[in-house]
Amino acid sequence: MSIIVDHVNYIYGADTPLAVAALKDVCLQFPDGQFVGIIGHTGSGKSTLVQHLNGLLKATSGHIYFDGEDIYDKDYDMKKLRSRVGLVFQYPEHQLFEVDVFSDVCFGPKNLGLDKREAELRAYDALRRVGLPDELFYQSPFDLSGGQKRRAAIAGVLAMKPDVLILDEPTAGLDPKGRDEILHQIKQLQTQTGMTILLVSHSMEDVAEYVDRIIVMNKGSVLYDDEPRKVFRHYKELEEVGLAAPQVTYVLHKLKEKGMNVDVSATTIEEAADTVLQALGRR
Amino acid sequence: MGIVKASDVVYEYIRRDDEGNVEGITTAVDKVSLDIRQGEFIAILGHNGSGKSTLAKHINAILTPTEGTVWVDGMDTSEEDKLWNVRQTAGMVFQNPDNQIIGQVVEEDVGFGPENMGIPTKEIWERVEESLRAVGMYEFRKYSPNKLSGGQKQRVSIAGVLAMHPKCIVLDEPTAMLDPSGRKEVIRAVRGLNQVEGVTVILITHYMEEIIHADRVFVMDRGRIAMEGTPRQIFSQVEKLKELRLDVPQVTLLAYELKKRGVALPDGILTAEELADALSAYY
Repeated sequence: MSIIVDHVNYIYGADTPLAVAALKDVCLQFPDGQFVGIIGHTGSGKSTLVQHLNGLLKATSGHIYFDGEDIYDKDYDMKKLRSRVGLVFQYPEHQLFEVDVFSDVCFGPKNLGLDKREAELRAYDALRRVGLPDELFYQSPFDLSGGQKRRAAIAGVLAMKPDVLILDEPTAGLDPKGRDEILHQIKQLQTQTGMTILLVSHSMEDVAEYVDRIIVMNKGSVLYDDEPRKVFRHYKELEEVGLAAPQVTYVLHKLKEKGMNVDVSATTIEEAADTVLQALGRR
Repeated sequence: MGIVKASDVVYEYIRRDDEGNVEGITTAVDKVSLDIRQGEFIAILGHNGSGKSTLAKHINAILTPTEGTVWVDGMDTSEEDKLWNVRQTAGMVFQNPDNQIIGQVVEEDVGFGPENMGIPTKEIWERVEESLRAVGMYEFRKYSPNKLSGGQKQRVSIAGVLAMHPKCIVLDEPTAMLDPSGRKEVIRAVRGLNQVEGVTVILITHYMEEIIHADRVFVMDRGRIAMEGTPRQIFSQVEKLKELRLDVPQVTLLAYELKKRGVALPDGILTAEELADALSAYY
């Protein structure tokens, strides 16, 4: 389900003396099934952008087309849009509220008007997809560990069967293993279901490892929009806007400076090891 | 005795069901002993639920041990009449800067602590100035905190603790919610406090790169100290760390990967510079 963002502007507090432009003439396309990373420093407009995609914020000017239809049309069904574009907020575990995990995950599909049986089937499927073991289904969500809570919350959005899943910093505050597990499962979800995934992140290493395409936001505008190795070529410019490249990029640049013939565009450990070995003549 | 000493500390909490009946006892900290010298930079690692935050909360007497004793600058934290002295000696900074800032203006927020201690007005202003300078936020003293970035807010929180002239600062995941440049700012400020002001620092984090400059690292697992050593000693044990749901800095991981593929490199390489030097022997 493709999304087109067409010349979107958003001004916080428009018509007040405190007006701040949070999005400036943003144009983007999200084709089906892509895994997209959105990066940018705090306040760069990335969360504002993703909140437009499921209609939580309405653009001050410009249009957004979901599957060819303008979501700002008078008779457009916003409720349906929200069921198709799932948004997982930062620290989603703060939104858990039911007496047990399973009821919590059922809440979304029930709200869509599905009957109990269908809602439960979806909840079951969603919980399996995020890798939460069966024995936790009937525990209170508040008794789970940080990583498990986060999964339960993501399952709650997945159970609505969205075509597009947006995750705003899904790994903040998790330990490294928890980080890897969640991202790995998201990647699997994308390959198995063909869901479009938008990942807002502050971790350059995670983004480099998992996504097909990176959008860099700065001061409300799109600064770069390209595949990871091309984006991280601009590592000096990224630093100027409060970001960084993955650490391996810095190692490779250092090696290059010292006269080693490595490919500096490698962004993951695997790729970096390959190019170093090649330069050493070991392959 | 060092600035912080723990001897066989056990902390248990009682789990209750919905009706308030006791379900069982969880041991969050299990016979931990440690001795931290004045001026040390200590890092504590551990997966979610390993007990590191619970242990940290003992250092400024938010929690007191079920068994065993914690001394802060020679004061037993379980003695109620020492409570305020303990908290002035060991300050604490938490994950979310928005929960820690109360003033409407930066300098007012930083002055809150010393004002509460009954410090004369003139000296409060001196302390506010020196604390804000120490974290590089002096030029923002007249700003409203909600106009600052995450990294800046977190540095204001640190200044607020610093203004109480603690001998020791405990930081519980201070960078978890920040973007890369915010993380860098905060870590730079923390290292400055340690090296220039001689404040003892206890840093809890999930970012492995942040602790390569620590004097000593403790790794916690199931309430116990599972590993202890210098960053180099700890990060040499890649497999063991992975078992404990942790990771190593990307540079160390790249060196480890190269080593696995037959390049003879020393263990526990921590910086890009070191790796480049070690590799330069081969070309």
